[in-house]
Amino acid sequence: MSLKALRIVWRITLLNIRSSMEYRTEFLLNIAIGAIWQVSVIVFATVLLSRFTGMGGWDSSEVLLIPAIRMLAHGLMVLLLGRVHFIGRQIQEGKIDVYLLRPMPVHRQVQLAYFPTNAIGDLTVATGLMAGALGRSQLDWTAGRISYLVAAVVGGMLLEAALFTAVACAALRFPAADYWSGWLEELLGTFGSYPLNVLPRAVGGLLTYGLPLAFVAYFPAAVLTGHGHDTGIPYWLAAASPLLGVLAYLGSRLLWRWSLGKYTGVNG
Amino acid sequence: MATVPAWRAARVTPLGELHAPPRMTAVLLRLTVQVVLVASLWHGLYSRTGSTAGLDEGQAVTYAVLAVLASRIRQLDQYTGRDSVIQHMHYGTIVYWYLRPLPPQRYYALRAFGEQLYGFAWALAGYTVCLAAGVVDPPESAAVAGVFAVSLLLGQLVLYYVMLILDQLCFFTIRNNSAMLILIFAQNLLSGVYAPLWFFPDWFIRLSGFLPFQATLSVPLSIYIGRIGLADAAAQLAVQAGWVVVLALFTRWVWRQAARRVISQGG
Repeated sequence: MSLKALRIVWRITLLNIRSSMEYRTEFLLNIAIGAIWQVSVIVFATVLLSRFTGMGGWDSSEVLLIPAIRMLAHGLMVLLLGRVHFIGRQIQEGKIDVYLLRPMPVHRQVQLAYFPTNAIGDLTVATGLMAGALGRSQLDWTAGRISYLVAAVVGGMLLEAALFTAVACAALRFPAADYWSGWLEELLGTFGSYPLNVLPRAVGGLLTYGLPLAFVAYFPAAVLTGHGHDTGIPYWLAAASPLLGVLAYLGSRLLWRWSLGKYTGVNG
Repeated sequence: MATVPAWRAARVTPLGELHAPPRMTAVLLRLTVQVVLVASLWHGLYSRTGSTAGLDEGQAVTYAVLAVLASRIRQLDQYTGRDSVIQHMHYGTIVYWYLRPLPPQRYYALRAFGEQLYGFAWALAGYTVCLAAGVVDPPESAAVAGVFAVSLLLGQLVLYYVMLILDQLCFFTIRNNSAMLILIFAQNLLSGVYAPLWFFPDWFIRLSGFLPFQATLSVPLSIYIGRIGLADAAAQLAVQAGWVVVLALFTRWVWRQAARRVISQGG
């Protein structure tokens, strides 16, 4: 992206922020909804942790690292790439056809459609949870471990974005495919926040190879906490989770480009 | 009111679903996967625990799976059909609800009835399959099943009124997506959709007792699994019925207030 393009992105983002602040109460509620949504994940995880100690052979402080990574990755995804989540609606309203006529990449226009105010709430809660998880952690946080944690968060963000981009690609062809993005978010929130080795092997395999949500936070957390050899997949594959996130996102963007080339509009 | 027009209004959303086989397939797949995942999760969690919060493994799995099935009862996608109240308010088409020979509150009730009936068919089919497959336990006795059925009906009425209040909110606020999401979240959390309320701290259970949400799902499911005994069920049914009356009166009053805010385009 050129410097001029970056400047345009920044200016549109500032305008979007001003626009979202037009209705102040809605703006504040939007922040609240981001926070509350994340709190629901914490509530679920806390309830399970308090009732079922030693979940999957992990102690509580180790388990806490999983939702912390996932939520921080999710918050960043919502902030930077989250508008892809609502692409089905934009297709149904014919907005993609308008984007195609403008001298800016369609994907960028989708991302600049509005400012995701809820990401402020998402990130606030996620940062708090991460601070709490690191504070309780018994691990020695060396430079290498911290670097891997940062890479895990970025990789998780990209992997989640890749999954939603893939759904968006399907929605370009079948607008009703947008239905799946809601479920995907629900699955990530519910099953992405604790050790998947509590599940039967077949179900864990489904969430690893079928829908790769285990790579978002579970495997990176396992590597960080020393459980990397007990995940049911080769250690190197678990350790490569951040890299897989990058590759998945690049692949999803290629898929997006291909799908957009085939796009014929809602009316054919 | 004639029965035929009422039936026609009630079947609008279910018909929309029946004419979209890909969406029905998606619902079937989603429901199946969700049931398998939820059942696996609770079995896995209980693998090292005998009983917690007064629930054993069978009760917890049954509760969680029934909660997944029950959540299908009112989960139709009105948004795609552009017939949600918030969309009508946004596009100004809400005024047509007030120009028809059918009063808006009756139209809304009929639509909701059709949706809940359609969703119930899904839930019942899912329940039958789960029961046959041994995923959920049957009720302890015919009496428990009967009380559960009554409680479920009252719970659905409470749910209808809670959802109606969320929609009625659209008449009074220009932008209310976030408020709606917050209330839907509260409904899911406090009704026990995320996890049975029995797992939560005592103060949380006490707090939810003062709100209508637990009457929608937690009470009927707790009766089904035997966490609320038949001796205590009468009091719970009375609380549910009380909420139905209070919410019915409140929403009736809000409909009247809402009608005053609707103006035809151009003022």
